[in-house]
Amino acid sequence: MAAILETIGVEYVYADGTHALNNLSLAIEEGRKIALVGPNGAGKSTLMLIFNGILRPVAGEVLFRNKRLDYDSRSLREVRQRVGMVFQNPDDQLFAPTLYQDVAFGPVNLGLPPEKVKRHVAYALQYVGLSGYERRPPHHLSGGEKKRAAIAGILAMEPEVMILDEPTSNLDPASSEEIMEMLDELNLGGKTLIISTHDVELAYRWADEVVLMKDGGVLRRGSGEEVFGDLELIQGARLKPPMVVELYHELVNRRLAEGRKTPKSILELCDLLQGRGDGNAVQEEDRGKIYICNADELEPERAAERAAELARRVDADCTAAMGTRAKLLAEEANLRLDFTYGAIDKCILKALAGRSCLIFVSRGMLELVQRRIKAYSQQSGTKINSVDLSSCINRRSQPVAHDSSRSKSFK
Amino acid sequence: MHDLLDDWAQCNGLRETSARLKLFFGLGAIAICISSLEPAAPLFVAASMSLIILILAKIPPRIYSRLLLFPLSFALISSLVVALMHGSGDMLYALDLFGRVLGIREDGAALALLLIARTFGGMCSLFFIALTTPMIEIFALLSSLRIPKSVIELSMMIYRYIFVLLDQAAMIHNAQVMRLGNRSIRSSLASFSMLASVLFLRSWEQGERLVIAMDARCYDGRLDLMEERRGARAKEIVAAAAYLAMALAISIASSRQGII
Repeated sequence: MAAILETIGVEYVYADGTHALNNLSLAIEEGRKIALVGPNGAGKSTLMLIFNGILRPVAGEVLFRNKRLDYDSRSLREVRQRVGMVFQNPDDQLFAPTLYQDVAFGPVNLGLPPEKVKRHVAYALQYVGLSGYERRPPHHLSGGEKKRAAIAGILAMEPEVMILDEPTSNLDPASSEEIMEMLDELNLGGKTLIISTHDVELAYRWADEVVLMKDGGVLRRGSGEEVFGDLELIQGARLKPPMVVELYHELVNRRLAEGRKTPKSILELCDLLQGRGDGNAVQEEDRGKIYICNADELEPERAAERAAELARRVDADCTAAMGTRAKLLAEEANLRLDFTYGAIDKCILKALAGRSCLIFVSRGMLELVQRRIKAYSQQSGTKINSVDLSSCINRRSQPVAHDSSRSKSFK
Repeated sequence: MHDLLDDWAQCNGLRETSARLKLFFGLGAIAICISSLEPAAPLFVAASMSLIILILAKIPPRIYSRLLLFPLSFALISSLVVALMHGSGDMLYALDLFGRVLGIREDGAALALLLIARTFGGMCSLFFIALTTPMIEIFALLSSLRIPKSVIELSMMIYRYIFVLLDQAAMIHNAQVMRLGNRSIRSSLASFSMLASVLFLRSWEQGERLVIAMDARCYDGRLDLMEERRGARAKEIVAAAAYLAMALAISIASSRQGII
């Protein structure tokens, strides 16, 4: 895949003489989810500011789509529109007196006509789930809302790459999971994402690629399993391994598990322990089904009503939602959600334990869920049935729960 | 953390009413109060504005009375001085202070009463605006009144950063109190000067971060202004005009009576 953003031999020295980056070369491929991890002072934030053209390296160069960044005002404008940056502290970023004005700031300065500005703002606010907050001043928002507002401000400029400095700092666990899921949604829509974080659990689970930085250079880059599986490397960089990895290593040490491949999630670890295919596995008829409902296909005016009706008809053991819109819908329909984040894995776990699940998804996430379930079924050799409710959503009467003709099973 | 006027301006019973009308209404009432020659009209305005604030705008009485306490106590003290110092006419009250007579004469008393009434009426009208109309709407209004754009943009930024800096000041203050920075008057003064200087530096840094934040989003000298929400309804305009006409009538009638 082509590199969208690249640094070649970049060096940066702060005014007090600190060498923040030393001869750093890094190519970011398009459409990836990348996490920069590393101890304090590793140069993560500096690198992010360099990507966005805010800081100019003392040596080396930055390339966007193979074009060198020249630091004249035109090319800076271009790179800043294409590469959006969300700051760690939303108060640094939200400077306008109302949310609308703040989100409109970027589009207005890009010179878009007023109707287009309005459209972009409405889209961005809707995307982050803050429609109806247009007239609020930022100091009347909660921490999580401020973060989402900051993301909307960048989203309204339609960047190709989004850089987020510590997107989950100062947020409660549910808010941070929601932010991360929103980033997944954005990535699904084709955006390249770069985050910096100290939260190894998050980096491990979320990122396609982890870049471990130390002392202004790249120590290691690779998949989460590669980087975090190397315990010595991780400890040397003043980090600690994710819980799943640590547990897995201890289990292997005690010969309770086979040391084949570092598990990525609790689901994978459970499968590893159970040793799929050795007869211990849950019988197929005992497994639960996963029902998927695309929230965007419900009749817009009566979506909440329909969703509530659907939940009643399916009568699943657990209900989950993925994506901002689906969550809002579930809230409107007064549905009690068992899982609001990491829904797919949790539903697979439940299905293996014989429970049925209903997942509300938004936009293109339907495909993601199906792909993930299919991949799991193939990998583990355990068939999980998923039912796409899309076609029978807007029809009344017939009970879906026992309609097995539409259930797709993957093997 | 703090109870701000701004919070109430954001959510009150009259939030949806046209800002233009509210501003006109409030300013009109203030003009009547300060131009009135007799205390009747300002007292009428004070009483009716208070009722509007409490009943229509649904501001809790506790908040409103606390707000009024400061200007009112100030007005009482200053009008006492005016009453003692001023005037001619019959002596209403006299105090013999070691051979010197300190007294309140009729004229002085009337002036003091007028002063209190005007302050009270004016403050109530001002609080009506402050408690029902958020700053942002006033900015939108200012731009439609052709105030220079740079002035409005600057005041919008200032408005936004008041709250950011207020939070920081509160945090610094807490950090000082936690470590007993206010154990004596001397140390309180030292802590306060430290707070002021740190806050200055912080606002400077905040300014630098602001420039970066704006640059990062391609700042090109343009800031969008909020549009005005909606025009006033005919019913509301008529009600406001009738109210102001009534206050004006009271003012004129009472001053005529005074002259006769």
